[in-house]
Amino acid sequence: MGSSRADAGAPAIALAGVDKAFGAGAAAVAGLTLDVHANQFVTLVGPSGCGKSTTLRMVAGLVAPTAGRVAVRGRPVTGPLRDVGMVFQSPVLLPWRTALANVLFTAEMSGAGAAGYRSKARELLRLAGLAGFEHRYPHELSGGMQQRVAICRALLLDPSLLLMDEPFGALDVMTREKLAFELQRMWAATRTTVLFVTHSITEAVLLSDVIVVMTARPGTVRAVIAVDLPRPRDAKTLSDPRFVELAAAVRDNIESQWLD
Amino acid sequence: MAGLTRRAGQALLGLAVVLVLWQLGPRLLGVPAYILPGPGAVAVRLWQTLGVQLQHLGHTAATTVIGLALALVVGVLLALLVVYVRPVKAVLMPALAAFNSIPKIAIAPLFVIWFGLGAEPKVLLAFLLGLFPIFVNSMTGLGEIEPDLLDLARLAGGTEWRIFGKVRLMNALPYLADAVKVAFPLALVGSVVGEFIGGNSGVGYLILSAQFNMDTPLVFASLVSITMLTTLGIGLVSLLEHVLLRWRPSRRTR
Repeated sequence: MGSSRADAGAPAIALAGVDKAFGAGAAAVAGLTLDVHANQFVTLVGPSGCGKSTTLRMVAGLVAPTAGRVAVRGRPVTGPLRDVGMVFQSPVLLPWRTALANVLFTAEMSGAGAAGYRSKARELLRLAGLAGFEHRYPHELSGGMQQRVAICRALLLDPSLLLMDEPFGALDVMTREKLAFELQRMWAATRTTVLFVTHSITEAVLLSDVIVVMTARPGTVRAVIAVDLPRPRDAKTLSDPRFVELAAAVRDNIESQWLD
Repeated sequence: MAGLTRRAGQALLGLAVVLVLWQLGPRLLGVPAYILPGPGAVAVRLWQTLGVQLQHLGHTAATTVIGLALALVVGVLLALLVVYVRPVKAVLMPALAAFNSIPKIAIAPLFVIWFGLGAEPKVLLAFLLGLFPIFVNSMTGLGEIEPDLLDLARLAGGTEWRIFGKVRLMNALPYLADAVKVAFPLALVGSVVGEFIGGNSGVGYLILSAQFNMDTPLVFASLVSITMLTTLGIGLVSLLEHVLLRWRPSRRTR
């Protein structure tokens, strides 16, 4: 998907020497250079406040960099992108809409109208394990279910890029793990390019093709770790020696900064 | 349903206790009937004057509802201006706050000078009293949208117009319902005060003329009929809210 629109050879996301400072304060991101290839699941991990969310927002075109270049599929990002799905830490559902109508929100905002997407939305909800909950209001759903609706909403228009800013950050550990496996399953069906932000090393190793460890503020790339674990990954993967090794490598890269 | 019947029963019991105390209390304490007539006398007077009551109530209801409708239109438009044209907020807010601190009742005589003894000063007072709560609540409802949600809508291609119709307006509806419930009794105060100071129609006029005649039961009867109007108005808004805003978390079954 999206390949026809891509410039041949251009990475899905290219950040080159990107700086971002808010007002006169210290930089949030400095000298960030990073390429994300199409159809890969790439995760940003790093200490709190290292500019992971800011990076995501710059890619989406919601925030402009102070210096440097941000390009998506070879085109410089100058304003809010279309064709991008976004999931935040909080589900931000519309309380007056049912689960189904919330998923259809992106279709209505795009101007395409809800009618043509109704069956797609139902299918996504079914994939997310929410069959039978289509007509429930957000306050009738658990936190995990609300976040699944938010993910379905982000996937509805088949975006060629999915940005996820700590989507499971507000959930309990058990729900979190379950949703990570479900996200992997849904992602396997589409293989959309994903840029994912998390604090959880386990989540990063479990989901990603590539993990980018960032330094403390101002954030920049400290290490890029390729995750070569076979897919689909399941609960057994968590005890795989290679999984443990990769998780340790990510942890070392984060914790060694404590000494710097 | 059983809970509803029980609550209705409790409310009726409470009302009955108040009525019994009201009927017997003043007699036992020796308060004369022209100071505090019993509920029986009030009911009789209400029945005797039912036609007049309804006629004056109609006038009061009309000026109140027109004033309220104007307050709704102007309040929402002002809120839209503040939400969409940022610089306006800095200019408009202090002016409105200053205006709101004038006791509107105190400028009522001015309206009589300007607009005479007809319906206009009553409508204007009802409008002014209802305006502020509607404006403030609309501003909150239209303006306070989670930034993440607005980002999401824009990334999906949402134009300002679509965001207004599908996000801001929907978000504002429960705030507006609450605002109308507050503004309705206020607008009624505006109408009644307008009727006190001039003219010969409306419940305010009826109460005042009953006072001149020392017809205390009629004063009370008028109070009963105007209370019924308020209850009816707020009940209607609540009913509308219940039907249209089913999703409201406050409507959740606890």
